[in-house]
Amino acid sequence: MTLAETQALFHQLVTDGAPSGGALLDGCFTGTDELTAADRVAIYRNMYAARLVEALRDTFPNLARFLGEERFTALTQAYLAEHPSNHHDVGRIGRLLAAFLRKYPDPDRLDLADLAELEWARNEVFFAPDSRAAGVEALAEVGTQGAAGARLRMALSLKVIDLAHDAVALWRGLESGELLEPPRAGSAVGVWRRGFEVFHGALPAEEAAALRAAKEGATLEVVCGFFADRPDPAVDAHAAIASWFAEGWVSGLASAAP
Amino acid sequence: MLQRLDLGHGIGLRARHFTEFLEKRPPVSWVEVVTENFMADGGRPIAVLEKVRRDMPVVLHGVSLSIGSVDPLSRSYLSDLEDLVNRIEPALVTDHLCWGTHRGQYVHDLLPLPYTEESLDHVAGRVASVQERLGRRILLENPSSYVAFRDSAMTEWEFLTALCTRSGCGILLDVNNVYVSARNFGFDPIDYLDGIDPRHVGQFHLAGHRDKGRYLLDTHDGAVPPAVWDLYREALRRFGRVPSLVEWDDHIPPLEEVVAESRRAAAIEAEELAPALRRAS
Repeated sequence: MTLAETQALFHQLVTDGAPSGGALLDGCFTGTDELTAADRVAIYRNMYAARLVEALRDTFPNLARFLGEERFTALTQAYLAEHPSNHHDVGRIGRLLAAFLRKYPDPDRLDLADLAELEWARNEVFFAPDSRAAGVEALAEVGTQGAAGARLRMALSLKVIDLAHDAVALWRGLESGELLEPPRAGSAVGVWRRGFEVFHGALPAEEAAALRAAKEGATLEVVCGFFADRPDPAVDAHAAIASWFAEGWVSGLASAAP
Repeated sequence: MLQRLDLGHGIGLRARHFTEFLEKRPPVSWVEVVTENFMADGGRPIAVLEKVRRDMPVVLHGVSLSIGSVDPLSRSYLSDLEDLVNRIEPALVTDHLCWGTHRGQYVHDLLPLPYTEESLDHVAGRVASVQERLGRRILLENPSSYVAFRDSAMTEWEFLTALCTRSGCGILLDVNNVYVSARNFGFDPIDYLDGIDPRHVGQFHLAGHRDKGRYLLDTHDGAVPPAVWDLYREALRRFGRVPSLVEWDDHIPPLEEVVAESRRAAAIEAEELAPALRRAS
C-alpha cells in the first residue's frame, strides 16, 4: 500500500467506526494472537471518540451537565459525524454546535441551542485579543463640541449575542444546581472579559443595538440615537456609555476628524 | 549534529497550575507547553506564558503539525506557529513523528506511520520545509504506538536516525513511549536506545502510562512508573545530560507533586552521571 492509501484506510477505521475486521485491515496492519490488528486499531478508535467528547465537554460544561453523560456523548457523536474537526486547535471543534442544535432541536428544550451559543461565546471571549480599558474621562477630553462625531473603540473581547431563549437563567441554574425552569424568552446578551475572568449579562434591546453600532465604528451621535425612545434619552445614553467604560468595554475614543 | 541545550529539568505547564506557578515560582529550570493551547491572539494562556517566559526558557511542544500526513502542510498552522515562535522565542520547538490529518480533517491524535522509504522521503522533505520556514531545527518525538504496519521495512529507531541524518532535525526521546511501544510490540527497549545516535537526542520526556492487561496505554495520568525510571537510567548512560521533562496531562495532581517528579529525575541524573563527571575531572 502507498502511504496515502494507508492513511486513508487508517483514518476511515478511526473516525467512521467501520467494521473492525476484514482483509483490508489485516492486509495493512499486523497483530498478535493476544492483540489482533483489529484490536489495535480499536484502541485508536476509542481514543478518538473519547478525546473529542472530552474537548466538547470542556467548552460546553453546562450543556454537558444538563444532558448527562449518555445524551451528551450521543449528541457529540452525531455532531462530529456532520462536522468533523478541520482546525488544528481541538478547542475550536464546537464552533458549530449551537447551529447543529438549532438544526436538530430538542422540542422540549429549545433553549439548549442558546445555551450552547452562550458557552461558545464565553469560550471565544476568553481567548480574544486583549485591549486596554479606557477611563470615562476620555469622554470629557473630546469635549461637547467633538463628542457627536467621536467614535468609541470597543474592547476586542466584547461580544453581543442574541438568544431566542433565556440561556442566561439556564446557565446560572446549572452552575448553582438550582431547579431548572422551562425555556423562557431570551434577549440580547453581552459577554466580556475582565482580567482573565469571563462575564455575561442580559442587555436591553436598545443598548445591545447601540453596542453593536459602536463596535462597527458608528459615531457617538449615532450610538446615542438608539436611546431615543427612552424617557430621558440623553441621560440614559450617557449612563449606558459611562457603564461601558466602567465595565472595561471601551478601549479608547477617536475624535472626529477636524 | 544537534547542539544540545543545557536546560536541566522542567515540567509541562498546564492551565490548572497557572496561578500557583506564577505565585510560587517552583524550582524548575524550564517549562514545556502544548503549542496549540497558546496559538491565540489573547486571553489568559498566552499572558501567563509571556510572564513565565520572562523568567525561564520555554519549549513549544506541538501536537498538530502532522508532519507525516500526505495532506499538504497547513499554511495557517505554520503561520500561527511562526507567530508564536517569534512571540515566545522558545528554547526548542518540538512535535511528533506522526500524522493526524486526512483531507483537512484533524483526528487530534498522534497516528503512527509505516516505516518505509516512501515515508522517510515524505517526512524528511516536510521537516526541511518546516525548519526553513521557522529558521531553526525542530525535534520530533517518538510516538507511543499500538499498531504496526505490514509494509514497515525498518524499525522506528532506524527510521528516526535516518530522518535526522537526512533532514537535520533532532529527537525528543520519550522514554515512556519507548517503554510502552516495546511492551506493545514485544521488542527490547534497550535495543531502541542502542539504535539511536546520541548526537541526535535533544530532549527527554518522562510520563506515566496505564497497564490495560493486553497492552500499555500512554496516558500521562500518573507518576512515572519504576520501569520507566529504570529505562531513563539506561538512557542517561547512553546519551548523557539531556534536558528532561515530566509530562502529566490527565488527573493532574497538585503542582508540587509534578515538581517532585522533576526533582526525582534530576536526582537520578545526578546519580547516573556523577561517576562519569568524576572520571572526567
